[in-house]
Amino acid sequence: MNRLKTSWMVVANIALMAAILVFVALYSRYEKNENARSQVEHFVNASMAMERVTENYLEGEQGICDNWAQYINSRDLTLEEAAAYISATHARADTSAHLIDAETLTGCSTRPKLNSPEEYAVSYARMDLFGDGGWIADLGEAINITRTYTNPMNGEQSLAFCNRIVVRDAASGERKQALLLRVIPTSKLEEKWVFPKEEYEDEDFSIIDADSNYVIRGRSFKSSSFFEFYKSYNQPGIAAQNQLFSDIMSGTGSFTMLDSRGRECVVAHTPITSTKGWVLLSFAPVSNLNADTENWILIGVVSFGLLLLLVTDFLYMHSANKKLRVMAREAEAANRAKTDFLSTMSHDIRTPMNAIIGLTAIAEKNLGDQEATADHLRKISLAGHHLLTLINDILDISKVESGKLSLSPITFSIVETVENLVNLSQPMIKEKNIVFSFRVNRIEKEYLYADQLRLNQIYINILSNAIKYTMPGGRVSVDLREEKSEKPGCVKLVYRVADTGIGMSPEFLEKMYQPFSRQTDSRVNSIQGTGLGLAITRQMVELMHGTIECQSELEKGTTFTISLDLQVAEKQLEEMRIDGVDALIADDDPILLETAADTLASLGVRADQAGSGLEALEMIRRRHEAGNDYNVIILDWKMPDPDGMETIRRIRADIDAPIPILLTSAYDWSDIEEEAKAAGANGFIGKPLFRSGLYEKINELLGMEVKAVEPMDDYSDLAGINILIAEDNDLNWEIISTMLGMFGITSERAENGRICVEKMAQAPEGRYDLIFMDVQMPEMNGLDATRQIRKLDHPWAASIPIIAMTADAFSENVAECMQAGMNGHIAKPVDLKLVVKEIRRIKEEKKS
Amino acid sequence: MKRIFAVILSALFAVVFAACASPARAETAGAFQPRLDPDTSCEITVIGSYSNFEALEAEFDRFNEIYPHVELTYLKPDDYNNLLGMVLESSNAPQIFFSFPWMYGNEEYLTVFEHMENLADPQLGLDLECIRSNLLQYDAEGQVLTVPVFARNYGMLVNQDLFEKEGLEIPTTWSALLAVCEAFQSKGYPSPMMGYSADPSSCLMSILVYPEVVAALADRPEALQAANGMDPAAGEYMRPGLEAMMQLIGSGYISLDQCAQISDNYTQVILRFFEGDVPMMICTADTVSGTGKRESQSEAFSRNPFVYSFHPIPLSEEGGYFIDSPSVEFSVNKTCDNLDMANEFMRFLITRDELNSMASVKRLITPTKDLSFSAVFEPFGLVPAERVLCPETIGITDALFVQVRNAAYQVGTGAASIDEAVSQYGSLK
Repeated sequence: MNRLKTSWMVVANIALMAAILVFVALYSRYEKNENARSQVEHFVNASMAMERVTENYLEGEQGICDNWAQYINSRDLTLEEAAAYISATHARADTSAHLIDAETLTGCSTRPKLNSPEEYAVSYARMDLFGDGGWIADLGEAINITRTYTNPMNGEQSLAFCNRIVVRDAASGERKQALLLRVIPTSKLEEKWVFPKEEYEDEDFSIIDADSNYVIRGRSFKSSSFFEFYKSYNQPGIAAQNQLFSDIMSGTGSFTMLDSRGRECVVAHTPITSTKGWVLLSFAPVSNLNADTENWILIGVVSFGLLLLLVTDFLYMHSANKKLRVMAREAEAANRAKTDFLSTMSHDIRTPMNAIIGLTAIAEKNLGDQEATADHLRKISLAGHHLLTLINDILDISKVESGKLSLSPITFSIVETVENLVNLSQPMIKEKNIVFSFRVNRIEKEYLYADQLRLNQIYINILSNAIKYTMPGGRVSVDLREEKSEKPGCVKLVYRVADTGIGMSPEFLEKMYQPFSRQTDSRVNSIQGTGLGLAITRQMVELMHGTIECQSELEKGTTFTISLDLQVAEKQLEEMRIDGVDALIADDDPILLETAADTLASLGVRADQAGSGLEALEMIRRRHEAGNDYNVIILDWKMPDPDGMETIRRIRADIDAPIPILLTSAYDWSDIEEEAKAAGANGFIGKPLFRSGLYEKINELLGMEVKAVEPMDDYSDLAGINILIAEDNDLNWEIISTMLGMFGITSERAENGRICVEKMAQAPEGRYDLIFMDVQMPEMNGLDATRQIRKLDHPWAASIPIIAMTADAFSENVAECMQAGMNGHIAKPVDLKLVVKEIRRIKEEKKS
Repeated sequence: MKRIFAVILSALFAVVFAACASPARAETAGAFQPRLDPDTSCEITVIGSYSNFEALEAEFDRFNEIYPHVELTYLKPDDYNNLLGMVLESSNAPQIFFSFPWMYGNEEYLTVFEHMENLADPQLGLDLECIRSNLLQYDAEGQVLTVPVFARNYGMLVNQDLFEKEGLEIPTTWSALLAVCEAFQSKGYPSPMMGYSADPSSCLMSILVYPEVVAALADRPEALQAANGMDPAAGEYMRPGLEAMMQLIGSGYISLDQCAQISDNYTQVILRFFEGDVPMMICTADTVSGTGKRESQSEAFSRNPFVYSFHPIPLSEEGGYFIDSPSVEFSVNKTCDNLDMANEFMRFLITRDELNSMASVKRLITPTKDLSFSAVFEPFGLVPAERVLCPETIGITDALFVQVRNAAYQVGTGAASIDEAVSQYGSLK
């Protein structure tokens, strides 16, 4: 069908082109014809002018003959006497006069016969020149000229002006009719009748008599007479021919005919009025009249232009069609992907919903079984979080596709970002028993200025994919290194995540960044995912002007490398030095050992490295025996032979010295906290080992007595805090107030923004520690309410910390909140840990 | 699609290039190699007794393909035969002129012969070998002063459609001729045979009788000598021809009344024949040459065209004769201007191809050895070699021809009896 349409398009183009060419050709022909008509008209006019010139000339010559005749008629002369008179009065060498008896057509000439100087007798008896003589008009009435004939006295082609005269017969003395011929060679006449050659080349002319015999014959005119000439090379039919001949003899006009060479010629005819039936014929090849009027250049240029247009159109059309086909295929694929996506979404949404609804029902029936209920609620929570991730991804890709994704840069700590990253990934790593390593290489600029939310999203998406698609027992390693950026004021963060997962096929690699695409694999089907993560990730990386690269091989694993140039924040940690400290770091990962030693060196710490627990034990023992104990020992938990925990036990058992020991791991500390404490660990530091983290932890261990790690579920510091919650939704108010109550935090409700502002305006100083502000509320939204509060007169009220607690979770919403004067943002559904963290942050800021 | 595109592209390019290309110079005629500078500019005039000579003008055009700046003109002077000598002497003397076999031996043309160039001069390079030897006349010095360009012949134009319509065969014997004439007459044709009869020149009578006289003298040198010597005794050789003629006239197969309505021996003969009711029109090949052009000028022929051809007139049971004689010859005026170019034109013209081409256009018999007849003259190709006679080779003089012509005319018109004409041979006016 498409091919058919293309063919029709080409045919239509060619038809159009042909039509234009035909038009140009026709127009050119029209112009040519018009030009030809004009030329012919001009030619006829020139012919008429020529006729007048001719007529004047002929009248002049005839006048001479008339004068002679008049003289002769007025005298009683014989032929010989008349001839003598003319000879005496007319001395022109190129003309002569013949006086002949009208009956016998013999007489005498004023010039002798050629080669016979004594012979003056002349005879026209054998020439059919005069016919019945009726054509010779009376004296002075007309120009009487013979046709061109052969002068019997000298053999030259000549013509003669004639007059009837009356002479006396020498023998009888009687008066008799005679003819006076003033004979002029045609060669002399032709010299006087030449067309203006500069105007018409190859033009010729003739004068014909009433029988179409040539009086004067141009060289282009053939045959003995013009009509004979015409008939020889043109066969229009007898009637048309006769009509043409009649027209020629009766008036002025023009016509075309073929000459002896087959050329089309124009013949203009105009009667010479002062003669009896003579016609002046002007003859010119049509090609000469139309010279340079055929605009072949125009036709050529138009042809070439159209051809070029056709080719260009064709190529463009071909290219456009190809693109359209590709786009159609892509659109079809995208549509199919969306359909598949909807189907998948339906499945993916229904799956956690099923868990939520089902487990809720089960929990309701087992309210008495606290342990089972807690387990059910934990699973419900997990399903809810997955659902939330799903919704966030859908919203994100929607923004990506509509091009509305924008960046909201803030100053943030890359250390915290990585910590969050590790913390978030811990549950899955633990669940799948994946060997996990996270190496950080010399992160010198901790505080950066970028969209932290998007950066987190990028890093989390890549890492969570690696974990998701790595089978239990597999390995996931993360490398984060800071490199020098070519952009001024920036550092280049290179984030590399390598896994030993299922890998991707080359076919999928080509389309993995397309939204809604998931690898078709039975192993993947069991893994929760939206098929949007990579699409969102790449869009965000590109938005941040970074690069994302991927190497993957089926069954062997995948490596993603993301490079981002991020602006360095003005705010940085003060110079961190703990000079003079002697440390031992033990890990089975040589790269980690190297990077950690590097980091410690940058703090002024001299660090020895041990590749295993046994080696560490030996080095500690040797130092102890030398009386030069390490100031601090950092041990990896997951070292083989023996692991970190066992190494601590052996150190504490073998070495009698209170050397501070830090256990390090990429895994969740809470799971091993009790065991570690029991083994003798003094603290924990999570991987990756940041400079700031090491600085703080070592300082903490060396600057004070070694203390146990603070329990994570100690919320006593939150008790007594009173929070004003602006929330229009009853259920949400109930959830948040209940949650806060669990930590000893009291709360009051404002049903909308206006009430919130009123309460703040009326509240005594210190009544509320902070405000959780919903954004979308009736009467007055959270943003306006914040702006109103910030304008309150009381400094306490105007400066109270306000945290947005809203379902508007996008970065621009966050930015909007900040611009309105808020101090933080918590997205709904609220993560209790985040709420607590945010409260503590506010509290700490308040203290400082 | 690619193929369609390629074809369209090629076609358009062809159109564009054809439009842009300059017209190729016309191919030069034949293999003729010019000896003079092709850019030579001059005038060449050919004069002759033909009123119109389109065949020669076509040759002019072909010659102009080689010499584009040579202006060639054909002219017919008045009273050609009488004024030729003077024209050759005039200030505008032509380069080439018609000459005729009958001029040989005629004292009036001595000055004309003085102007003639020897065309057998090897330096001129004329291909005289292409011409039938019997048509070339060498003088005592081995010169060729006149070169034939057409051959003469005598016969009858036959309306083939009329024969077919009446179910008759074209006659090839005397008895068949009589039978056919009888048949036509009985079918209402008032004059099965016609011809020009107004004056002796090219009259039907001489056309009938002359071939018989030539044949009678062909193998009789003594008789020929007597005839050429105007010996009245030689008049007897005319008798068979005269008798045959009179039998045709006497039987009413040739109606002189009908023939008298034909006012000239050329155009009117043709137009009368084209009326379509004349089975056989007696004429010369020169007259046949005018038929082609006049087909369209005859209303009757245009309305009812028919097939016709030129046949020998069978006045004996052995059939008719093919009188192969020069019709028109060309001579070069050796005292003219532009003689080199005149000779160049003659070198161009006197070749087998050009003479055949001219004969074909003129619808006359070519003088070349390649005697390929056109359809009209095809019957003469069937004439046995022994019946092909050349008066010039035989030695028949113009005076002899004139006596025969006069005799035939006078007898045919009833001005003299056969006996009178025979007895007055040598003095017939």
